[in-house]
Amino acid sequence: MIPHAPILAIVLPLFAAFLMPVVGILARRRGIKRAREWFAIAAVLVELVIVASMIPALREGQIIPGQFPVYELGGWSPPWGINLAIDGLNLFAAVIVAGISALVVIYSFVCMERDHGLDQYYTLLFLILAGMMGVALTGDIFNLYVFFEIMCISSYALVAFRRKWQSIEASIKYLIVSSLGTSVILLGIALLYGMVGSLNIAHLAQKLPLEPTSAIIVPLALFVTGFGIKIAMVPLHMWQPDAYQAAPSAVAALFSGATATIGIYAMVRVVYTLFGAFAIGIMLAVLGLVTMVLGALMALAQRDLKRLLAYSCISQIGYVLLGLGLGTSLGIQGGLFHLFNNAIYKTMLFMIAGAIIYRVGTSNMDRLGGLWKNMPVTAMLFGVGALAISGVPPFNGFASKWTIYVAGIEAGQPVFTIIALITSALTLAYFLKAFNSIFLGQRPKHLSDIKETPLPMLFPIMLLAVLCIVFGVLPQLGIDIVRPAQEAVMNSGGYISAVLGGA
Amino acid sequence: MEFGPGFWGPIIATAALLLITAVAWLILIGGRKITKAKPSAQKLQTYACGETLGAEEIHPDSEQFYSPIRRVFRPFYRYIRPAHTGILNTYLFWVIAGLIIIMISIALALG
Repeated sequence: MIPHAPILAIVLPLFAAFLMPVVGILARRRGIKRAREWFAIAAVLVELVIVASMIPALREGQIIPGQFPVYELGGWSPPWGINLAIDGLNLFAAVIVAGISALVVIYSFVCMERDHGLDQYYTLLFLILAGMMGVALTGDIFNLYVFFEIMCISSYALVAFRRKWQSIEASIKYLIVSSLGTSVILLGIALLYGMVGSLNIAHLAQKLPLEPTSAIIVPLALFVTGFGIKIAMVPLHMWQPDAYQAAPSAVAALFSGATATIGIYAMVRVVYTLFGAFAIGIMLAVLGLVTMVLGALMALAQRDLKRLLAYSCISQIGYVLLGLGLGTSLGIQGGLFHLFNNAIYKTMLFMIAGAIIYRVGTSNMDRLGGLWKNMPVTAMLFGVGALAISGVPPFNGFASKWTIYVAGIEAGQPVFTIIALITSALTLAYFLKAFNSIFLGQRPKHLSDIKETPLPMLFPIMLLAVLCIVFGVLPQLGIDIVRPAQEAVMNSGGYISAVLGGA
Repeated sequence: MEFGPGFWGPIIATAALLLITAVAWLILIGGRKITKAKPSAQKLQTYACGETLGAEEIHPDSEQFYSPIRRVFRPFYRYIRPAHTGILNTYLFWVIAGLIIIMISIALALG
């Protein structure tokens, strides 16, 4: 493991964010082209290496006092000092975030080349990354809130990045709804602090069972609502289609793959580790079902590809909630595996939407058609993503959805499985419609000169498509990646004792 | 894989899918060779509102693509879709409604 890796994973993107304008100014003065982009790619790849370096250390059970798996900031032991606590669950989230961010930065190299103000773009992108890493790795609930705010505030600005009327409107709506969400999270933290007198997640988890059950209802509901807004759980989802449609495609790809993962991580960490509230799993499962069905039916009626993908995001998060809500080992494993797969194909599909917009200038499916002739590779990759998200074998979506279906039956909820299966068929239906509208049929005259997606944009999409196939054909690989996270969810006692030791 | 009772071999399934795809492709190619398309000028004409349109001017309306399926879910589209107004007040109403629903559900679940 790289020494001080947990704190470096947060500090590096933070420094990269504030160095970005300086790099931009120096590059312009010295006439170095694309220096800012190369700096961003280098920084995000180093970030990925730092995060990945913690995986073998965690698997081997390595213990470095004060550094790993519990990193004590300023040498103050928890619960008195702030700490970063690494376990299977948050390392799983951190790896997804770092991987998706790396691909999004590479994709942005060409995708964003026609935009102005890219110093600000990369600064905000790295601030989101720093915020996401902070949320994932911190062991302190107030720190989690602060990093969550850093992530959210940067994302409001990125939605409005292109300064069009539609994007500014979407950003303001997102800002107001999401600020309400973070406010209720802060209120929940205040209530917990008032009850227990601590902000350390492990310390809170240790002390909360001693409190009366009635006292934890309100803070728990506040947390679920706050994080529910971020993951766009129905009925808190309405901001998402506007924001994803209006944001640049690279940003929408990051939101759908990485920030949604962080939202789910925060929800799981708080509900299952902090509150130990496995009893509310059935509520999460039912909300998950409503979310998946509503998302799919709304997606079926969309004309715009990005809006369709946004509703599809809502629907897929429903599957994740269903798996996690079942509360069994297999259910949690399936939910987390689906979260992992969703990050892969949803990022990929938004990147393809971005490639179409880059070449054609619109994502309105009524103005597209017959692009298979012009963009065969992109069309094939879209096909892979569409089949994967619809849960068609042998792609990765099938493996995780199947795990959730089986978990539903094993948990004695066959109706949940039937609803999930029907929703999967609806997913295939709206993706076939999208594929048909964009790539098949008669090509309009104005699209005859359209060229294939540029190679630097295709590279991350191809990589994600390969992952869709690999984790579908060899699903055991995915299960092996997910298992430490699932074990961490089921064993909050292990987290508490790792952080507090004998305290 | 640990998928409960039954058997799922992803590699075997992938091989079988590829084989089926190859067979389907061969049937398609064979069919095209046996029965060749014979389009006449009249068959290629498309009429809309009394006008003849060129093939590249026609595009199916993506919103109507699954209108029969959407008719099955008519109550949903009648009541839920209009709730997605784009008006911020509606969004905030649903956040508050969601908070209340979640709070009641948690209270019931925790007994």
